[in-house]
Amino acid sequence: MARFALASIDHGWTVAQRVALERAHVRLESLVVLLLLGGVMAFLSPFFLSVGNLLNILLATATIGILAIGATFVISGGGLDLSLGSVMGLAGVAGAWTCVTLGLPAPMGVAACLGAGMAAGWINGQLVTRAGVPAFIVTLGMLGLARGLALVISDGRVIYGLPSGLVWLGQGRPFGVPTPVFIFIFAALIAHYALAYTRFGRHTLALGDSEGAARAAGLRVERHRRALYVIAGLTAGLAGMVFMARVNSGDPTAGMSYELTAITAAIIGGTNLFGGRGSVLGAMIGALIMGVLQNGLNLMAVQSYYQQMAIGAVLILAVFIDQRQARGARA
Amino acid sequence: MKRMTLIAAALALSVSAAQAQEGGYAVLMKTLANPFWGAMAQGVEDGAKEAGVRYFAQAVESDQAAEPQLNVCNTMLQRKPEAMITAAINSTNLLPCLAQANAAGVKVVDLDGNLDPEILKSAGVEIAFSIGSDNVAAGAQGAEWLVSQLGAGATGPVLVIEGLSGNITGQKRAQGFAAKLADLAPGLEIVASLPGDWDRGKAATIANDILTRHPDLVAIFAANDGMALGAVEAVHAAGKGAQVTVIGVDGNADAVKSIRDGRLNASVAQLPYLVGKQAVVDVAKAIRGEAVAPVIHVPTLVLTKAVLDAGTEPLLAYVK
Repeated sequence: MARFALASIDHGWTVAQRVALERAHVRLESLVVLLLLGGVMAFLSPFFLSVGNLLNILLATATIGILAIGATFVISGGGLDLSLGSVMGLAGVAGAWTCVTLGLPAPMGVAACLGAGMAAGWINGQLVTRAGVPAFIVTLGMLGLARGLALVISDGRVIYGLPSGLVWLGQGRPFGVPTPVFIFIFAALIAHYALAYTRFGRHTLALGDSEGAARAAGLRVERHRRALYVIAGLTAGLAGMVFMARVNSGDPTAGMSYELTAITAAIIGGTNLFGGRGSVLGAMIGALIMGVLQNGLNLMAVQSYYQQMAIGAVLILAVFIDQRQARGARA
Repeated sequence: MKRMTLIAAALALSVSAAQAQEGGYAVLMKTLANPFWGAMAQGVEDGAKEAGVRYFAQAVESDQAAEPQLNVCNTMLQRKPEAMITAAINSTNLLPCLAQANAAGVKVVDLDGNLDPEILKSAGVEIAFSIGSDNVAAGAQGAEWLVSQLGAGATGPVLVIEGLSGNITGQKRAQGFAAKLADLAPGLEIVASLPGDWDRGKAATIANDILTRHPDLVAIFAANDGMALGAVEAVHAAGKGAQVTVIGVDGNADAVKSIRDGRLNASVAQLPYLVGKQAVVDVAKAIRGEAVAPVIHVPTLVLTKAVLDAGTEPLLAYVK
């Protein structure tokens, strides 16, 4: 079946499909790399191409994928958020604390996760736009603040034992598919639509391309930027909720250095680190490339050190191909 | 176009080349960046040889990579192992995977005692057995050795450096030490018990600060060797090497070297090699249907310069 899909990329693209792909800002190369990688893994490990394992890949990619949505929005708008992973940890602890320590029902736990994420994003946005502190510094500070707060709230311990409704969000399997996979795909589709097809999305890319031009064109630059950080915070809250529900506990160390993995996914997917270009679907492909790579190497019992090397190499390669093509297009 | 053809060819090949090799024991550790887990991996290998079984081992990049470890655990289950031997990063991160293992009839072993029996019960996860060092006993052994050196009538301030705040292993060691010390030598007073977060530098800073506050400090107990080695350097830098007795836990290679050099006074050595080896041998027994104790404690050994120089202690063979 994979062979058929590849063949269709080669010969079967209609003009309409190509246009759709271009409008979605997905680079054909990244899709090819993903499928190629899948092929290699299937070749090397007999366990790769089972439904259970493919669902495992989606499940394992869910948190990074959701964070990559936030990274894509902020970065394509010309910003940066280094606090995503820490805020994810804080959100999970906030949710678990609300339900376990305060004894409130599951919906309040969800609200606490998303609320904590958005609050952190809101603070990031305020500091970047009103206090004029560079985004790198603000979100680096938030990285420490959020992690520290998560450790304080939880007293450094894992908060275990969520209400069953919350656990379902992480461990449920409606139609045989893990709930986090549904949440991940649903969030990605909405976010992709918002970035690629709405005015908000066009404004985001315009802002990332040139703040001056966006301002001159009448865009309320500061307000828009703040909105982007809140969106990033929201994705961190959602990722925190998903992981919390998956392990039935708030883990204050969850999401350690995930911000870098999420940014890597966005960039492999074609987002420009300096803004002006970005695609959520691209970022999802980027996240899946890493997910497939890790899963395949795990199946082959390759040491995790090599996995990190492989992902680093893929990142550099992706940007290298991108740059070469950009030069080719100009020439 | 040529490239596409090649890819298609590779894919076609893949279907024919793929061969299933199910079974064996899955061994999931924390991180091999720590020599402790390296020694345990060696024990697993030798144990598997002894028991005549196949195994495959995996670890993650750091001992805080909770979600990556869960993902690796799920992946390992795809290979349909007979047993899942896991050293969980915390008491909850692997539970969904272990529940799946239970459902598939795979025997689950808690390597190094990272799982909490009560949480396991409420999560409905059943383990075949838990194997590791007795951390309370290890702390108590440290206190016993200290009192054997200073005498039961000794007096003076003592510092305890705990592990990562909230970490159960560090807490057990510190508690075991404190309880035994109060019991054997009430004159030795613990003036501070602070979390060093398993960090060598942090432990050195703590030792420095407490030495300033209590210049007559007589002993430091650190919940692992890394921290003990940090503390011992701070003590020597302050010129109090002869006055302060420093004890660590783990018996890792750096600590052994420091003890031989006459810097660190003692380390309560865990024997991860033995833990790994026995885990595999015992799970083979459990699979054959033989009875295995639900909690297996592997002994710990107080390493000192005298013990190392004499080299007669039989357990020394397992200190890697």
